[in-house]
Amino acid sequence: MSPLRRHRQLTRIWQSDPGWKGWFTTVNHNDLGRMFMGTAIVFFLIGGILAMLIRAQLATPRSAFMGPEVYAQVFTMHGTIMMFLFAIPLIEGAAIYFLPKMLGARDLAFPRLTAFGYWCYVFGGSMLLFAMFAGIAPDSGWFLYPPLSSTLGSPGINSDFWLIGITFVEISAISAAVEITVTILRYRAPGMSLDKMPIFAWYLLVVALMILTGFPPLILGSVLLELERAFGWPFFQVAQGGDSLLWQHLFWLFGHPEVYIIFLPAAGVISTVLPVMARTTLLGYAWVIAAAVALGVLSFGIWVHHMFATGIPHMALAFFSAASTLVAVPTGIQIFAWLGTLWKGRPQLKLPMLWIIGFFATFVIGGLTGVMVAVVPFDWQAHDTHFVVAHMHYVLVGGFVFPFLAGLYYWMPLLTGRKRFFRLGETAFWLVFVGFHVTFLAMHWVGLLGQRRRTFTYEGGHGWEVINLISSIGGFITAIGFGLVIIDIAVNTVFAARIRRDPWRAGTLEWAMANPSPAYNFASLPRVSARDPLYDDPALPHRIARGEGYLGDAYKGQRETLVVDIATGEPLQVVVFPPNTPLPIILAFVTGGIFLGLLTKLYWMVPLSLIGVAALMALWAWGLGSRGDDVMRDVGHGLNLPRAATVPQPPGWWGSAFLLLADATFFASLIFGYAFLWTVAPNWPPPAYLEPGIIGPLVGLAGVVVAPFGIRLAERHLRRGGTMWPGVALALAGAAAMATAAIMAVRAAADPELHAYDAIIWVIAGYVLVHVALAAGMSIYATVRRYAGYVAPDRFGEVRIARLWTDYASVVALIGLAALQLPGAVT
Amino acid sequence: MIDVIRIFGPLFVWFATFSAIYGLQGLVCSEHWPALGLTLSHGRVALVGAWLVAIGIQLGLVAVLQMRRVAPATGLAGDVSIWLGWSAVVAIIWSSFPVAVTSTCG
Repeated sequence: MSPLRRHRQLTRIWQSDPGWKGWFTTVNHNDLGRMFMGTAIVFFLIGGILAMLIRAQLATPRSAFMGPEVYAQVFTMHGTIMMFLFAIPLIEGAAIYFLPKMLGARDLAFPRLTAFGYWCYVFGGSMLLFAMFAGIAPDSGWFLYPPLSSTLGSPGINSDFWLIGITFVEISAISAAVEITVTILRYRAPGMSLDKMPIFAWYLLVVALMILTGFPPLILGSVLLELERAFGWPFFQVAQGGDSLLWQHLFWLFGHPEVYIIFLPAAGVISTVLPVMARTTLLGYAWVIAAAVALGVLSFGIWVHHMFATGIPHMALAFFSAASTLVAVPTGIQIFAWLGTLWKGRPQLKLPMLWIIGFFATFVIGGLTGVMVAVVPFDWQAHDTHFVVAHMHYVLVGGFVFPFLAGLYYWMPLLTGRKRFFRLGETAFWLVFVGFHVTFLAMHWVGLLGQRRRTFTYEGGHGWEVINLISSIGGFITAIGFGLVIIDIAVNTVFAARIRRDPWRAGTLEWAMANPSPAYNFASLPRVSARDPLYDDPALPHRIARGEGYLGDAYKGQRETLVVDIATGEPLQVVVFPPNTPLPIILAFVTGGIFLGLLTKLYWMVPLSLIGVAALMALWAWGLGSRGDDVMRDVGHGLNLPRAATVPQPPGWWGSAFLLLADATFFASLIFGYAFLWTVAPNWPPPAYLEPGIIGPLVGLAGVVVAPFGIRLAERHLRRGGTMWPGVALALAGAAAMATAAIMAVRAAADPELHAYDAIIWVIAGYVLVHVALAAGMSIYATVRRYAGYVAPDRFGEVRIARLWTDYASVVALIGLAALQLPGAVT
Repeated sequence: MIDVIRIFGPLFVWFATFSAIYGLQGLVCSEHWPALGLTLSHGRVALVGAWLVAIGIQLGLVAVLQMRRVAPATGLAGDVSIWLGWSAVVAIIWSSFPVAVTSTCG
């Protein structure tokens, strides 16, 4: 088959639907990556406009430009949009677009999940935008501290928009993180062992795992605060056994890792782009990986450094001050690795390099002020002043926006297929760089002089007037610079000439394809034997196009790619991806019904939407799998591989495993919250602890034992060719027993409005009930699939997935019910 | 998967032990501690003991990482996990040393 014919066939197979329909039915990572990034940039523009409104207000003392109510909404929405609707989605978009190309795959692990995540992001973001334009936007600051955000401080619907809208958007982040993790671990080019993986993929692996473990505490916090606001369950009300500090713990358990979730992908961009600009390879590849992992994990251990001013004991302050200084070490390792790379190479001052230099100058200053605020006495002085705002912007703009702009210009040929012709980018860089430093250096200064953040105006006579004016002028120069970047990219995308393949002479796989990249990425999947495959084998792109790799034959019009061994990268299975479908957008829309019902207090919408979600998910999963035909596939080079749907641990098992990691973090955060209130909250113990009795624990324990045994029995019978029903019946009986124990606990704590303890009982029992129901549903679904022919003695992967969820439900039932009944048992 | 677990494991254990020590400090300073008939001096002993146990766990982990039974498939995973194992030892010594030198609940 000629390369052109192969290209046409593969394009027909992989491309999205033509016309407007394609926007809503595409599941291709090229489209969705662009859509994610484009939408994130729109939110960046909106957030930027809000920033300009803030600077206009603060330019002069006693400004009448905005009143306090509007100002509170504007600064809250600025922070919320930039953190949740711009930075994280831009990272997701970049990962979705670039990862399969860098790894040598044709798409991400779960294409429909990518699309579902995108639509959740769009719908959730739209809710927040609607609130803003309607004048009912959140107004308690981007970290929404209660009691300011409780019904007492924020009686309207404003805070509900934040809690519900952001939780909706976070579905997108969790989806993307599951997707990215499974893709990096299992969807790579043959031969790409872990030590040959592109450095960007290592960074994204760390980030994805951080999202899976960092976002659930915030989701939990949002759920608890919304339950308090909607139904009066007093998790954060001191008088009823709650504690507003619990919110701060849950928020910063998310919020501090979030800073590194934003920084690490940008560091990945630097580690990828800088060596190419310096015409060399990255110095200390293994050390940089170690530094990225260290930074990622250490960032979880320093959440309390945002709470130094809350009156916690000296020892706790010292713990987190010491831990905070630790992060300077891996950050320093990366900075020195980059400087060493520049030293050993022959750097070229191209536009991406300009942005990287801007990053160095800015981020190092932000890092140093970070070490300053890690020191408790200094933090007490600077807390809640504009110094902290300036520090945060140095870290986030210097450490994220500048590197991503370097990356945008670096990968622009791949995105647009055009060569940059109009040279507005250099002017834009200098405007942004100078404007930014004018704005935020001045802001450090005014912060040290004592100006508080989040106050809508200030009196003259403190020596702040000129500094604020300078800061505002700098802000507008920065905005003009960013505007010019967008014009530069737009003009070059539309008018510039076509560009040849690999214009930077880089070594990673994304440059092995034509510009812009085709819908299928690789005409055949390459075998790689080096970290920079194109340096190792310059003829590789031609061999890929000629179909000399794996899966080069457009077999049966199927969307295929390979699954590999995690460590060695040896090919193990063939995956067939689903076709274009409107299912993701429909599912996101119906999911939105749950959130909208909660927001508008039309609670009848919630169960209705949940039924819709369950039905659509069943439909979603029904199309997966195999009925046994065409089990083995000749992938080329004499290699026969099984279909991924027929192996004991299919892709869905891996997706479930990492989703459960996030779920387990949510549960651990819930138990932490319970322990925190028990230990610290002033109005504990509650009037009465749950009386455990004999029946409840025994019934629960029986369920915990029987359910996992039952699903294993079902699998065993299935593999021997027998019926699954006896085992499934046992699993269902076990689930029913666990559910009974949970319901008994809820009935014993009849009024969750009474005390935080009672409310916690309802939440833990509810969590157990939901997971028991999920496990039972999956067991029934697997049995139905047995009758439909998808599950068989040699294809029991779906039963393994049900087993995973059943085991999880049993573990959380055991821990949850024990945690509820322990205080009553020992007192 | 063993390579990935090796790489992420040591510092994850640091996070768990560090959080546990922080939790113990919270318990020592709560009203539950005197209710158990214990004083702040007992609390100090418990905290220093927990710190030493945590250091022991991290050192044990470094030893485990060098065992053949958990040998990685790639040399990179072996090197990186050992570096991170030692980093976790330093991290637990440094981040929890306040148990020995600062006031417990003041």
